[in-house]
Amino acid sequence: MSENFELLRNVTIGQYIPTGSVVHRLDPRAKILAFLCILLAVSFSNKVVPVAVLLIAILLISQVSRIPASYVLRGIVLGFPVLALVFALQFIFQGRAEPAGRIYFEWGWFRITRFSLQLISVGVIRIICFIFLTSLVTMTSTITELTHGVESLLKPFRRFGVPSHELALINMIALRFVPTLAEEMERVMKAQASRGGEIGQQRFWRPDKAARAYLPLIVPLFLNGLRRAEDLVWAMEARCYMGGDARTKFVVLKSDRRDYWVVAAILAFSVFVVWFRWPALRDLLAMIGIAGL
Amino acid sequence: MAPIIRVENLHYTYQPENSQPVPALLGIDLTVEQGEYLVILGHNGSGKSTLAKHLNALLLPTRGEVWVKEWNTKDKSHLRDIRSTVGMVFQTPDNQLVATIVEEDVAFGPENLGLPHDEIVRRVDWSLERVDMSSFRHRAPHLLSGGQKQRICIAGTLAMKPQVLVLDESTAMLDPLGRREVLDVARRLNREEGVTVVAITHHMDEAVEADRIVVMEAGRIVLQGAPREIFGQAGRLRELQMDVPQVTQLATALSQRVPGFPHDLFTVSELVSAVEQRVTNRDGSTVEPTSAGEAASHGEAVIAIRGLGHFYMRDTPLEVKAIEGVNVEVYAGEILGIIGHTGSGKSTIIQHFNGLMRPHEGEATIFGQDMRSPNADVMTIRRRVGLVFQQPEAQLFEHYVGDDVAYGPRNLKLSREEVRERVRRAMEAVGLGFEEFKDRLTFALSGGQMRRVALAGVLALEPEVLVLDEPTSGLDPRGREQLFERILALRERGITLVIISHNMEELARVCHRVCVISEGQVVMTGTPGAVFGRAQFLHEMGLGVPGVTDVVSQLQSKGVIQEASVALTVPQAAEMLAKVLQ
Repeated sequence: MSENFELLRNVTIGQYIPTGSVVHRLDPRAKILAFLCILLAVSFSNKVVPVAVLLIAILLISQVSRIPASYVLRGIVLGFPVLALVFALQFIFQGRAEPAGRIYFEWGWFRITRFSLQLISVGVIRIICFIFLTSLVTMTSTITELTHGVESLLKPFRRFGVPSHELALINMIALRFVPTLAEEMERVMKAQASRGGEIGQQRFWRPDKAARAYLPLIVPLFLNGLRRAEDLVWAMEARCYMGGDARTKFVVLKSDRRDYWVVAAILAFSVFVVWFRWPALRDLLAMIGIAGL
Repeated sequence: MAPIIRVENLHYTYQPENSQPVPALLGIDLTVEQGEYLVILGHNGSGKSTLAKHLNALLLPTRGEVWVKEWNTKDKSHLRDIRSTVGMVFQTPDNQLVATIVEEDVAFGPENLGLPHDEIVRRVDWSLERVDMSSFRHRAPHLLSGGQKQRICIAGTLAMKPQVLVLDESTAMLDPLGRREVLDVARRLNREEGVTVVAITHHMDEAVEADRIVVMEAGRIVLQGAPREIFGQAGRLRELQMDVPQVTQLATALSQRVPGFPHDLFTVSELVSAVEQRVTNRDGSTVEPTSAGEAASHGEAVIAIRGLGHFYMRDTPLEVKAIEGVNVEVYAGEILGIIGHTGSGKSTIIQHFNGLMRPHEGEATIFGQDMRSPNADVMTIRRRVGLVFQQPEAQLFEHYVGDDVAYGPRNLKLSREEVRERVRRAMEAVGLGFEEFKDRLTFALSGGQMRRVALAGVLALEPEVLVLDEPTSGLDPRGREQLFERILALRERGITLVIISHNMEELARVCHRVCVISEGQVVMTGTPGAVFGRAQFLHEMGLGVPGVTDVVSQLQSKGVIQEASVALTVPQAAEMLAKVLQ
């Protein structure tokens, strides 16, 4: 039985890693816009080759940021059970989808087709892209930079009733409490384990029991979270927080020519990836001598 | 000069519309003078925090008035003036920080006041300097110590340039070093910047240097005056169950045995000089304190830790070595005390005691099982070594008290009768009647009762060793004393105790051995006499010794006391001093 209570180690999203790279020094607004461009490109590409190209581009950016890829990938470990389930379901049910393309394996109703394989490969690469993208943004910019960036980008929409400042503040506070609550969760898990509790070790065919076993974890987390929220309200009010428009700002974002170039380049690249008719994977493989797929 | 805050006949009731209104304040009259250092003392539930929240209009009186300068707190149009005049810092530093970077958190107040950018920057610089945190301005708050976080909270308040600083139990969650840091900052602001300080606390020793003390009980002010007047009323204080500083207890004990000895002394240096004045014949030779040093006959080592090392965030860019080369034994039947700062690695070490953590380096043997082996039976270890975390009440989850205590035994898959029996025994061991409390709602209990429930929850596993991480922290003196006695009584049931505490006086009184941890290493282990006898060494690490131990050792080094033993309790010290004084 091996246990790991060190949750902070696995929560990689939201952890700022100051390596001082070029990417770190970009204007957060530029980073957010570039991030959105690539995100959209990943979402609109539905073939293996273009998403793979995007993944390579993302890995290059993470190289430039000097963020170790292995550290980012740890974020996937947390979501792994859910991912596995989603892919298993896709594998089972998408086998019947038409046009199926070539059928590699068939056993009664179940079959593995070119279409289902493609779907799942694209899915896996996309998920890795998403995790990398979000991690990269949060690892190279402080949460406050991001918040200020989002607030500043949303500001033009304020006249249409978008509460940009409130959203930004909510966002900042939520992220501020991620490490605090992770620590708290770790403490509660350890305390219940010390009382012989086996959280998360129930058999998966008894989801009712498994859910019940999480109560000793969830109830204290919720109650303590509410208590913290109440304290926070007092503290914010005591510091004259009254919301909205009369506030001034300590952080003033400045962008220079480099930021514009980065956004323009990433935008052009994303449009290109989506627009370009990439050769299919099997043609590429055929070119290097792996034929017959 | 006009008082800066005036409270007139203040009444406050929680849930006034409810069928069960809870009256919290019953007619408070109080003025706070400009520039004074006022301490408000009281037990939990005495209404002191409710009063504090009236001082900057976070709460409004049900009846009566509160005036800040010339503004009535009920007048909404001056809300911003009132709140920027009276700054407030609360109990839990974590719950007051809004930003993810120190300097931006400090800027939150000035931003809310709508100050121009340059002025905000100036104020942030100034406030961080006042609390000595300038070099931390780009850090993330969650990586700071409790005392540092609380200083950031003070800076955040200072940045609004308040004239009054209210500290609402701001030291309750801190270790002695953190408390010291916060109190020093408050005192310096009071003296150098002329900031009026209102400090709310249940630690009597924090009141020693105040200009004025107000004692509250059950929604009323029951005592008021300068520290000397208040401490002079030892009988009244005992009635109110306030914790009188150990030095004052010693002075009182001496005044009963030595005619004319003052009973109202409250600092170590005062007591030392009072004794010096009365002792004329001394031969000038100084004495090094040596402990009586009967090394307690050791039973069998139930927990043995050798060369232990542990890393946090292992294999990440943020890897930190938390402890290194740690050797500790726990012997059957003893009480082992562990002292050290927050962050010294104490918690990491005790988590190896019941297999929550496995050694990264070195070895841990618990009840004969090698914890390096992946086959070690962790479940059995956890049953035999109970671990009670800090503020264990934060881990309760069941609706009814009985069910929560039963969580452990049920996990052991015991029969219904056995579970019931164990819950009964555990609840009675912590002083909660089984029939009376088992069907009570867990979350309707008081803080002290919830802590007992949590303790019972671990006791219900019937452990042979019980490890307690600061079991009495955050409780008021009354609750602390009661709980501590209950814990000691467990030893009569044959339970070996390991107690982590910042309360040196408690540890000195009860432990067989004390282990000192600093910067991830065990720096000293020995009898309380041997450990606390080295006051200088402990002071260098920023750890204290019991007040009476300090008094006696200072007198020994001045040659006033020739007896070389270490005093650990008030009666011991009184005995030694009485001999010299007579």
